Amino acid sequence: MDNIKTSHSTAGQDHGHGEGGVPFFPDHFVKEMSVMALIFGVVLFLATLMPMPVGEPADALKTPPGIKPEWYFMTVYQMLKYVPKSAGLVFSFVIFPPVMMLFPFFYNWYTKYRYGRLILHTIVALGVLTAIFLAMLAYLGFE
Amino acid sequence: MKLGVVDFLDERFDARRVAKEFAEHRVPDHVNWLYCFGGITFLCFIIQAITGVLLAFYYQPTTDAAYRSILMIMDDMPFGVMLRSLHAWTANLMILMVTLHMLRVFFHGAYRPPRELNWVTGVLLFFMTVTFGFSGYLLPMNQLSFWATKVGSEIAGGLPLVGHYIQAFLLGGEKISDATLSRFYAIHVIILPITLTMLLVAHFLMVRKQGIADPL
Repeated sequence: MDNIKTSHSTAGQDHGHGEGGVPFFPDHFVKEMSVMALIFGVVLFLATLMPMPVGEPADALKTPPGIKPEWYFMTVYQMLKYVPKSAGLVFSFVIFPPVMMLFPFFYNWYTKYRYGRLILHTIVALGVLTAIFLAMLAYLGFE
Repeated sequence: MKLGVVDFLDERFDARRVAKEFAEHRVPDHVNWLYCFGGITFLCFIIQAITGVLLAFYYQPTTDAAYRSILMIMDDMPFGVMLRSLHAWTANLMILMVTLHMLRVFFHGAYRPPRELNWVTGVLLFFMTVTFGFSGYLLPMNQLSFWATKVGSEIAGGLPLVGHYIQAFLLGGEKISDATLSRFYAIHVIILPITLTMLLVAHFLMVRKQGIADPL
């Protein structure tokens, strides 16, 4: 038993052929199906009780009052109110996506420093909180 | 009597072994409910694919007909209200879930080597999901659609140097027209579904090959 434990924990990347954990089927599969049924129930519930309105037909001459983007664009939308527009756009569309995509390739570099990973995770956690805060400001209509 | 189908597939594709390996692969003990967001995102994608195809049977992507075809879906098509509302709600849920999945992966440090490439495909999938949302928003051609697209494309147009070209490319001209609707429709129902499906396959194959990351 000791053997099994050790080989599992040192594998680092257990390809799912080890002995630890539970078999995918049926143990894990049943849980996944339950969650799927629950989520499907939630969207059916929402779609039934709160159907999407059709809205007014598009009219280029009639600007509706208080237009706001969808919630997932609200962070960027609100940020652009506080920083110079071109700087905010360059950050959001040119700098941020590649940094977000490629940072794991520098893992060995930044973990050489004692608190490297902790610092990165803290920065991102603060970034997430700021993003939520900005989106809330946008939702409430702060200028 | 024996079921011939299984033997037929087994002789040709080694189906029993493949199925057995998949069914018996171990899910580590540290997997908890936080690990469900990725799977829920996938479920959302399947719901979107099915409801999306059914909506596409009736939707008409021209500025003249789009709004009327939405009215037809809502008023005359059997279960039309349900289909369209499911599609819209699930779109929002999918973006929420892909975000939560990404945060879970990040704070568990599951992006670390050797899983960098899976993180890269994940980030691409995230941006594609958001683009799905943006492109789908225009299709009903109601006031919200029109003005969200106008504001969105103007924001993209504010980028230094290339902004104007991006805006012209997005709109297919200077302002929202049939050209805009056609390309948003093409992006929403052809380009994104194909590319997202391919990346999704890569994403899943990598997870299968590398297994679930150990906790930090």
